[in-house]
Amino acid sequence: MDNNFLVIENISKSFGDNKVLENINLNISKSEFFGLLGSSGSGKTTLLRILGGFEKPDTGRVILDGTDITNLEPFERPLNYMFQSYALFPHLNVFNNLAFGIKENFTQKEIEINVRNIAKLLSIEHLLNRRIKQLSGGEQQRVALGRCLIKKPKLLLLDEPLAALDKKLRSKTQLELTTLQKKLKITFVFVTHDQEEAMSLSDRMAIMKNGLILECSSPEEIYENPKSLYTANFIGIANIIEIYKKDENFYSDDLDINFKLNKELKNTKTNILLRPEKIKIQSINNLKTSSFNSFSGEILEKSYLGSFTRYEIKIKNMIISVLDQNFNSSSNYNFPKGEKVICSWESESIKVLED
Amino acid sequence: MKNKLFEKYFVFSPYFWLVLFFFIPLAIIFKISISVSEWGMPPYQDIFLFDNGFKINTTFENYVYIFSDYYYIGSFVNSLILALISTFFCLLIGFPLAFYIATSNIRLRNILLVLVVIPFWSSFLLRVYAWKIILQNNGILNVILLNLGITSEPLQLLYNQYAVIMGIVYTYLPLMILPLYGYLNKFDLNLIEASKDLGLNRIKTFFKVILPLSVPGIVAGSLLVFIPVVGEFIIPEMLGGSDRLYYGKILWEEFFVNRNWPGASALAFSGIIILVLPIVIFQILYSRWSQKNEI
Repeated sequence: MDNNFLVIENISKSFGDNKVLENINLNISKSEFFGLLGSSGSGKTTLLRILGGFEKPDTGRVILDGTDITNLEPFERPLNYMFQSYALFPHLNVFNNLAFGIKENFTQKEIEINVRNIAKLLSIEHLLNRRIKQLSGGEQQRVALGRCLIKKPKLLLLDEPLAALDKKLRSKTQLELTTLQKKLKITFVFVTHDQEEAMSLSDRMAIMKNGLILECSSPEEIYENPKSLYTANFIGIANIIEIYKKDENFYSDDLDINFKLNKELKNTKTNILLRPEKIKIQSINNLKTSSFNSFSGEILEKSYLGSFTRYEIKIKNMIISVLDQNFNSSSNYNFPKGEKVICSWESESIKVLED
Repeated sequence: MKNKLFEKYFVFSPYFWLVLFFFIPLAIIFKISISVSEWGMPPYQDIFLFDNGFKINTTFENYVYIFSDYYYIGSFVNSLILALISTFFCLLIGFPLAFYIATSNIRLRNILLVLVVIPFWSSFLLRVYAWKIILQNNGILNVILLNLGITSEPLQLLYNQYAVIMGIVYTYLPLMILPLYGYLNKFDLNLIEASKDLGLNRIKTFFKVILPLSVPGIVAGSLLVFIPVVGEFIIPEMLGGSDRLYYGKILWEEFFVNRNWPGASALAFSGIIILVLPIVIFQILYSRWSQKNEI
């Protein structure tokens, strides 16, 4: 796969004294669905706006399909940008919004055909004569998408594509968006602050913080093997335990237990990550406590989530989150509050966080 | 119940105002315009006479007199042309300014808005008089032009229709900028970026997106400038010459110099009707159009 389709090279950007982006480097492949995930102020939207041509970077280059587009105006770039607010033209109906970008170079007949085709693709054929104000949020999102796709861009940039939709519509649209992207094989780069959205849409994603890219990998890799403490906390629920070397094993003061690691460490002190669903809980009556990778604790808080139950378990000076799949169908399967339980896990489930 | 009644009167109080200070005076003007002239005080006869039984004493001669003399119609046409030209220049200067103010950051925006309003803090008459000082034969502008060697003798800048247009554009510019700003302020700047992203350059974006969406602001500002300029008296009087006569001045002369109150009233009343009717029709058509287009 050509992973030099979109090359972002040493991009930096400041607004006054505020450094928004610092030396960003990214390579994105053709037909990839790429996510930029970060909290507000991480610089993700600025990066997307630089790709769209609405901001000029202080340093660095953007190369799309072999062409340096860094200094091109937005209207000269072979890409399109879908705004978070959709930015549909209120003085035009749906048909003319869709046709807006192709009116220049096409005949009336070609415009008609193109608009019909894109409307069919997005199932908005019945809306063509409507005005923008008469559309629901989901319909507006489709028109905004169609207005971009009709131009057959090499690259589509999406700013928080699902943020303006309600929760139920969001998961439906998520699926549609991935299906559409796989079908059209257009490279999508999108920005989001929602980690679930990033995970479910992206082929690969970059985690941004304070103008830096912390990690860039597949969602699975980022969830299972995060490199930094920030990423571990940002994606999903994380139990972070500080450990240090004591004799042959690693020891946690907070938990007063020994950890057995299957990996040598550079530092004598570090953080480890244990995802809550990797922890198995059993009744204290079933098993004896062993000194490695298991501990006994007391259930402090529990919340029933349907397919899972989330427990907050107190052990020594620490509270650990555990997600327990509700495997049995009987309703009294869950452990009650205050119950003493034993938690255990595979030693492979422990991930060492390097920074 | 009592509160409801109060609310009702409160809401309608502008209409009482309108009746008291617009419709009643208008009716009085109409009454004078159809009365017969007389040498006396007031210089017209009553329209209802009770001397030898009841008699209605009205005439439309004043209207005939006005419409048969091109002196009056011509001055009205001159005023309409003046108002059109002034409105056009106000729009030409005001639109970019209003757009710039509306899209600048909040601190700069407030400073610029204050600068737009500042001229209102001094007397209108003084400001027009100041232009007289700038434009006169030995005025600042001529002195500068002479010293720079651009002209060898003073230019006649004052007392012509160009000085009038300049004075009017200067005076009425805030009335164009403020409603335009009020409208452009709500403008979603993403729409401009979206247009550029879809391949339209700056000029095409202006004509396809910015201009159509600014129509209500342009209409409001233009009416606010156009209507009072038609009847403008002071600026043509102070800066204008004898090259062109304007409606406001003719009205003044007819009333105070010729003491032809019925003729002046007929002129005033005709002006209002000629001006108000098309504007009312325009407003109705425009509100229908903007409702249809949801602007």
